[in-house]
Amino acid sequence: MYIIGENIHIISEKVKEALTNRDREFFMDLAVKQVEAGAQAVDINLGPRKKDWEEVFPWIIEAIETVVDVPLSIDTTNVDGMEAALKTIKKAQPILNSTSAEPERLEKIPVLAKKYGAKVIALTMGTAGIPVEADARVSIAVETLIPRMLEIDFPIKDLIIDPLVLTVSGCQQYCPHLLETVRMLQYAWDPAPTISVGLSNVSNAVPNENRALINRVYLAMLMGVGLQMMIANPFDEPQNEVIHWIETKDQSTPLGRVYNKIAERIAEGDEPQMEDFDLSDADQAAIWKTTQILLNKVIYADSYLNQ
Amino acid sequence: MPVEIPKDKWPGSIRTVTLGATAADGGTRGLTVTVGGQTALPYMHFEAQSPNPPVVAIEIKSERPEDWSSILTEAWGEALDDPARWAARAQDAGAQVLVLALSANDTPESAVKAVKAVLGASGLPLIVLGPGQPEKDNDLLVPVAEATKGERLALGLCEDKNYRTLVAAAMANGHLVIARAPMDVNLSKQLNILITDMGLPADRILMDPTTGALGYGIEYGYSVMERLRLAALQGDSMTQLPMIVTVGFETWKAKEAKVGEGVPEAWGDWRERGLHWESLTAAALLEAGADIIVLRHPESVRRIKIAIDELMVTA
Repeated sequence: MYIIGENIHIISEKVKEALTNRDREFFMDLAVKQVEAGAQAVDINLGPRKKDWEEVFPWIIEAIETVVDVPLSIDTTNVDGMEAALKTIKKAQPILNSTSAEPERLEKIPVLAKKYGAKVIALTMGTAGIPVEADARVSIAVETLIPRMLEIDFPIKDLIIDPLVLTVSGCQQYCPHLLETVRMLQYAWDPAPTISVGLSNVSNAVPNENRALINRVYLAMLMGVGLQMMIANPFDEPQNEVIHWIETKDQSTPLGRVYNKIAERIAEGDEPQMEDFDLSDADQAAIWKTTQILLNKVIYADSYLNQ
Repeated sequence: MPVEIPKDKWPGSIRTVTLGATAADGGTRGLTVTVGGQTALPYMHFEAQSPNPPVVAIEIKSERPEDWSSILTEAWGEALDDPARWAARAQDAGAQVLVLALSANDTPESAVKAVKAVLGASGLPLIVLGPGQPEKDNDLLVPVAEATKGERLALGLCEDKNYRTLVAAAMANGHLVIARAPMDVNLSKQLNILITDMGLPADRILMDPTTGALGYGIEYGYSVMERLRLAALQGDSMTQLPMIVTVGFETWKAKEAKVGEGVPEAWGDWRERGLHWESLTAAALLEAGADIIVLRHPESVRRIKIAIDELMVTA
């Protein structure tokens, strides 16, 4: 699993404060720690920075590249800011995060990526918003995103499609659609485009104590349908453990067995079954309940584990 | 050629909830009303017989409502000034359950008095609603719960920010509660979990999924009810509760029902339009799985009871 570390994000109060203070050490440290924890790229989301982009984007890139060699993912809606960052990058092939199928963004961002030899993340979202059906998301990829890349002679190997994870709290019925979208996208083109998702979106608006569990169970399902890249928190050790168990088919522990079973079932187009779990074990019972809400079998409620 | 009609067999069922208690069970009601118990989608009699038909409730107020449509006030006349008379009239009009909505002007004493008067005037099971302001609801409903211990009233509304006091009062005094969530399946279920976590048995909860009148979001309300009912039949225990919908409240605030002036002439006869608005909203929600329909106009009650009788006919 290729993890793009998500922790340099303006939504975090600490990041906000460090940016206000131009605290170079803070960002250097956070980048290094993410890479040490296993991140293979580092996402940088400081928002659009409409007023100070000329200064901020080069400043942060320069600071982070002083300490890490991995690709940096420039996560902003500000196209000028993206270019300012691209001009500064000296090390690994950068990632532009992101374009969508909206005409204005699709017009500019792939061209920019091509000019600087960057990869680009493309969201399966058009002007009409996020389509919910798997077919509709695949259609956006095949009929809009990929043709645009071909049109400008952008290498498909540098295209990363993000089919957009929606939260189980409120958009529950679409969680299974995303699994099917990821499964189908791999057959949508030759060569198959890379697919990446923002994993933690699945638990947006979920109480904190349940977020990590929901993320992990969904991750096992996504790995079942072949996901190999995601934007995620590399410090989440239980999550990294799940990745390790599934990648190495390690079934030496009860939880390793359970997570592998979830991935296997989903890979086969099947669903996890109650008999896959030892429900007398509290952890396994919680995982079973989580599979049921993610597959839209049982209605999500904040206290779903107490049911 | 013989055609085989496919039948669903659902693993789950709706809980049975009984409103009201007779003297034998510690109350004073002349009869009790039981709803729920379904093991199939509404009126799919060929799949499973529904043990309890939906019931019609009439909403009355502890004081004369100032903002009601004249179509309603004409129907009830002077009974509007006296909850006891109104209750008796509502019973005569065919109500199977009464809903007494307290007013923000009520004091704990006047609320208890109104509830006692209604209980004295009619032997029907009773639902008591607060005026809809959390603190005021608790101030009025706790003394009401205590003064009517054992009657198996349904008290409402419990909402996510305000349910503890009401649930505790219901638990201590042998009543039921109504759990209301704002047209959202996740929040409906969450509230049911929170209420049962406090120790109130699930067979003492009715859920109000919130609905909109015809033309005012009825399709959203319908979808929410449909989803809750499907989940319940699939075995989701925290959605297996009978549903109550406040059709009268929703419809008679819609312009089409409420006012006769300043609307296009093509809309036709005002009174008939208002009655259609209420009864069509109610009929649609019956199909969505409503177990208790709360109405305001006696003519809508008559129409909906006919509709229910016809829906309950098995081939």
